[in-house]
Amino acid sequence: MKFGVNTEIALTYLFSRKKQTIIAACGVMFGVSMFIFMQSLMKGTNDYFEKQSFATTAHIKVYNENKLADKHILENYYKDGSVKMITNPKMLLQNDGLLNPFGIIKNIKKNPNVTNITPQVSAMVIYNSGSVTLNGTMAGVDIIEEDKMFDMQTNMVEGDFKDLVKVNNGILIGKGIADKLGLHMGDNITVRSGKGASQVMHIVGIFATTIKQIDESKSYSNISQAQNILGKDRSYVTEIKINVKDYNTAPEIAHDIETITGYKAESWVQANEQIKAAFKIRAIILNSVIGVILLVAGFGIYNILNMTIYEKIKEIAILKAQGFTGPAVVSIFLQQAIYIGVLGAIVGLTFGYGITLMVSKIYIGAGTLKYLPMSFYVPHYVESVCFAVLTTVAAGYFPARKASKVDPVTIIRG
Amino acid sequence: MQKETALSAQNIVKYFHDPVDMKVLNGINLDVLKGEFVSIVGKSGCGKSTLLYVLSTMDTDYEGELIINGARATGKSLNDLARLRNESIGFVFQFHYLLPDFTCLKNVMIPALKLGKWSYKEVEERAYEKLKMFGVHEQALKKANKLSGGQQQRVAIARSLINDPAIVMGDEPTGNLDSKNTGIVFDLFQQLSKEYNQTIITVTHDEDFARRSDRIVEMADGSVIN
Ligand SMILES: Nc1ncnc2c1ncn2[C@@H]1O[C@H](COP(=O)(O)OP(=O)(O)O)[C@@H](O)[C@H]1O
Ligand SMILES: [Mg+2]
Repeated sequence: MKFGVNTEIALTYLFSRKKQTIIAACGVMFGVSMFIFMQSLMKGTNDYFEKQSFATTAHIKVYNENKLADKHILENYYKDGSVKMITNPKMLLQNDGLLNPFGIIKNIKKNPNVTNITPQVSAMVIYNSGSVTLNGTMAGVDIIEEDKMFDMQTNMVEGDFKDLVKVNNGILIGKGIADKLGLHMGDNITVRSGKGASQVMHIVGIFATTIKQIDESKSYSNISQAQNILGKDRSYVTEIKINVKDYNTAPEIAHDIETITGYKAESWVQANEQIKAAFKIRAIILNSVIGVILLVAGFGIYNILNMTIYEKIKEIAILKAQGFTGPAVVSIFLQQAIYIGVLGAIVGLTFGYGITLMVSKIYIGAGTLKYLPMSFYVPHYVESVCFAVLTTVAAGYFPARKASKVDPVTIIRG
Repeated sequence: MQKETALSAQNIVKYFHDPVDMKVLNGINLDVLKGEFVSIVGKSGCGKSTLLYVLSTMDTDYEGELIINGARATGKSLNDLARLRNESIGFVFQFHYLLPDFTCLKNVMIPALKLGKWSYKEVEERAYEKLKMFGVHEQALKKANKLSGGQQQRVAIARSLINDPAIVMGDEPTGNLDSKNTGIVFDLFQQLSKEYNQTIITVTHDEDFARRSDRIVEMADGSVIN
């Protein structure tokens, strides 16, 4: 009862046309709930894939990148001041690993954003059991550090990864390897590389990720074992893996590390460009769908107000005759749009939350993905309301302005 | 003592261009004093309504000058004129125009709520008083479109008086009323002009009504002839 008179008129008009009001609000509600649902699904999925990729990929990986052949070597050889040119230069294999890796690690550790850092020796290997062989990669790691970064425990199907510390020639193999070679816990497996000696290792654990290729090729050993297999000394490290506080800042930190160490520092963003591309494509699809929904909702409001104005043109003229100014008339009709928007947004919020909650209970049961990954992220809800209100204001403004331009005499004169 | 002028129209000329160019008001000069009760009469189509729309500031498409309460209304912005109407001019239309979605009481209250001079409660009381004056207080809470034509017209008159306007204009305000109610409206208008010094300008076809008012302005073919 204490509303301004414009508000009171706006509300009366809304209530005297309940059906249209509800239909218009439904449009907004649909827009808002779809917005929330789709954003939740997308963020949930993105977060899930990001988490998945961090289960196997460090935020930053430092390694020695192969370089394109250049004329420096020639200049060292022919010191005659002649001009050297290399046509069709080829990549040079840099298989020396990182020089002074522990010095580098010490250096990188000074960066306060770095939370974990661990060296790794990667080796292309051939697994062998009986007469069957299988190609794969072995990662020589500090398993305790590795667990801090990638949570080894969740993927373990059999055995305890910590046993790697106790058993020097222990190995953790993927479930796919175990199946293909018919191996079990406690069995021995022969591992060899192209160059080094072959080594008999003792299976202390079996793990399974959601990715089949990894399970069929990957294994973990102690660093020294990997160095042995490659025939390298104890200072040989192929890469350094780094996790940082906020993985979104990884590209910048990687850049810093690159300038400090001179080695290639690749952030997860570069390593997972296809994931990022998928995120982007999903975002585009999603935003266009939401855009269309909001557009339709906006048109609904626009239509209803236009119809109201058409029907009420006489009443608008009377109001103006009695001293309602143009801005007052704009306020009356814009308020109607806003109330429709707010009503739709509130119902839409509840509805959107409801759908999200329901869908998050849908069982998927693929690998570690048990339920559809939905995120419940407050900014989505805030954004959806902002969008709804913006759309309704935009949709309401033009009819409202039209109403404010009604010339009272022309209408009243008839 | 010279009475103050409430409204002064100077050489008002008005054209309609549709369907053909036509001069509807042919240089009207009219001065109305404060507290005066003026009737405008004339044949149908002579331009009475047209003149009243100009005087009420709703129609701004004219030549000449209009002065209301000593201030020039001609050339003011539409929003300024709207505020002027809200505060100082009450208008009764030829066809009682109420807002059908609102109750009679609300219809009467709206101009006062817009003005914002009184509290909601006061406005409600005032509106009820006005309805009572015209004997339609029992319809107060009915939707406006549920009333008979005569009742609606009385509500419309009540509405025109809600803000105690300096000038009340009516375009055949009693056109739809029986003689008893016409009498009530006339007495009330007279009371407003005599006791409250409000200015009344009405277009009427009722000869008796016109004769009893302070002054008759007779129009013919867009000019004041008497
Ligand atoms: N909107 C309009 N367009 C064109 N001509 C009009 C319009 N309104 C009124 N007229 C003409 O102007 C003249 C005066 O009309 P009006 O002021 O309504 O007369 P009255 O009220 O005295 O009966 C009439 O001839 C009428 O036909
Ligand atoms: Mg007329």
